[in-house]
Amino acid sequence: MLDRTAAPAVEVRGLTKTYGPVTALRDVSVSIAAGEYFVLLGPSGGGKTTLLRAIGGFHRPTAGEILLHGKEVGHLPPDKRPTTMVFQAYALFPHMSVAQNVGYGLKVAGLPKAQIADKVAQALEMVSLSPFADRRPHELSGGQQQRVQLARAFVLDRDILLLDEPLAALDAQLRKDMCLELKHLQEKVGITFIHVTHNQEEAMTVADRIALIANGDLVEYGGARDIYRAPDKAFTAGFVGENNLLAGRVAGLSGDSVAVDVADARLRIDRRGLRVAEGQEVTLSIRSEAVRLSRDTGHLEGQSIAGTYTESVYLGLTTSHRVRLSDGTEMVAREISERDDAPAPGTPVVLSWAPGTARLHVE
Amino acid sequence: MDDYANPWLHRLKWAYLLLVVLTLMAPVLYVMWISFNANGFGANAYDFTWKWYGLILSDAQLIGALRWTLALALVVTAITVPMALVAAKHYKATRNKLFPVFLLLAPLFVPPDILGSALLVSFKNANLAFVWLGDRLGTEAFDAWFRLSFLTAVIGLVIYTMPYAFVVILITMGRYRAEQTEAARACGANGWRAFRDIEFPQIRPGVLSACAFTVILVFNEYTRTSLLKGGFDTFTTVLISQMLNTGMSGQSYAMSAMVSFVAIAVIGTIILVTLIRSEALAREARAKAEPVMS
Repeated sequence: MLDRTAAPAVEVRGLTKTYGPVTALRDVSVSIAAGEYFVLLGPSGGGKTTLLRAIGGFHRPTAGEILLHGKEVGHLPPDKRPTTMVFQAYALFPHMSVAQNVGYGLKVAGLPKAQIADKVAQALEMVSLSPFADRRPHELSGGQQQRVQLARAFVLDRDILLLDEPLAALDAQLRKDMCLELKHLQEKVGITFIHVTHNQEEAMTVADRIALIANGDLVEYGGARDIYRAPDKAFTAGFVGENNLLAGRVAGLSGDSVAVDVADARLRIDRRGLRVAEGQEVTLSIRSEAVRLSRDTGHLEGQSIAGTYTESVYLGLTTSHRVRLSDGTEMVAREISERDDAPAPGTPVVLSWAPGTARLHVE
Repeated sequence: MDDYANPWLHRLKWAYLLLVVLTLMAPVLYVMWISFNANGFGANAYDFTWKWYGLILSDAQLIGALRWTLALALVVTAITVPMALVAAKHYKATRNKLFPVFLLLAPLFVPPDILGSALLVSFKNANLAFVWLGDRLGTEAFDAWFRLSFLTAVIGLVIYTMPYAFVVILITMGRYRAEQTEAARACGANGWRAFRDIEFPQIRPGVLSACAFTVILVFNEYTRTSLLKGGFDTFTTVLISQMLNTGMSGQSYAMSAMVSFVAIAVIGTIILVTLIRSEALAREARAKAEPVMS
């Protein structure tokens, strides 16, 4: 069980990394508990891999500190840190067998051969690859190769494992299976996993907490459910899940709620303690699966908006209904695909949602 | 050949390839052919003999030249290949690749007689400067530093062979994935250990090829060696001076054939061993893993 009261396994303070004029990371601070499965999520080129590699010792920070178990390690090379790493691909040693790959770190550490053989056998057992010990990496599938990387990391008994897009080179089904396998392995070994991905489904499957990184900034971090259900920033809402982002202007304040004008409608929304002023431009986010589509107009005032139906996109389990608002914004209502009576394009419709579903963003 | 290719066109491509190889090899094969002729070069009659090969050992000038050339080749290889390896590693790691590659490959584009004479003048001037310095300091210790000698020939040949060795190693390094070094570092290996255990075994064929190539280049080189060699003779300088003055002797042809054969055999063996070894390793791994279905 994760204990967040214990000293953090990883603490990053004010980390900045620049390459000449390019800033890859800007003043990033984050704390990761021991035994936590932490995911760095974000678009490509956002800086998440740079952060991971800085923690692993592959990038020297331009400014800021990295503490592993309370000790500053910014000056230490990768082989002197209590971390190990699983790479996206191509990182197995092709001239060695699977067993030699897994045992390499133990050989470097100078362990006796018999002990290496025992530990390698255990690690391969853990990732269900015992029968493949004598194979060469090129004789394994992509998923098996990644499991060899995991075994090579586990065998070292280090307590922080860094995973740099470990599933990116796998096909969709294998990625799903490996996600669960990773999660179960992490629960079994109980060490800290820091996993970089741009795939939100992968992140939601494995993460205890997610940090969203984009344009070199740590946008937001929190529990996986919180990030999905209650994103603080509009960027997070746009990146995680399928959210409708509506631009509006504050029309009035009343206690804990705010009236926002969006596309000829006045919507009422929870203020969330944010400082807003009348006339201020704001953004609202509403998850597409929380939006209901109907042709009648009997909906709660402030929790619905009218528009024109444009099209439906059948996605198997769900169907996305697209509706154009009067200001040209396109909203999506996603429903479980049970009915087949979508309105004709051009039909006036109403989109509605339950109170508390929409979120206000002011940045 | 793909399913839709014209089989005659395919055969024509192979015939063309064979023609190119034969054209390249024809002069070498011709030297080998006449090295077994008891009547020597240009004779109408051809009588097979090993005589010229037997006489090589009795030709003190040729054996001496061969010894010098071998010594030069070994020393130059021992200096050039590690330097080229380090240069290739730096080149792969550097961001701005254009300037270093220009510097490293520049000697390739300078004609050999110009580079050789430029080095000759430099060494002569350096020698004068060091002799002058020695005179001022009252010592003769520096007098021989840049006198034309084995050392100056080595310097000239290192400059000559370095770009070739660099390119050969770099081509092999191109296939190497830097992630593997990082993975080794993540396993606890320091930079040197990661290079020794992970990178070097994978680029070894390139390094061995660079060694063989350097040895062959040193054997073949005439202009720079003859300008910078000082008092000793190398294989090519002996052959060429013989040819220009008295014509080549029968044992010279035998020696040329032998050196060509050794060069072809060395390169051929490296290629064959690499192919056979990688195939054997794959077969062995497949055999061990046979009972398991993936």
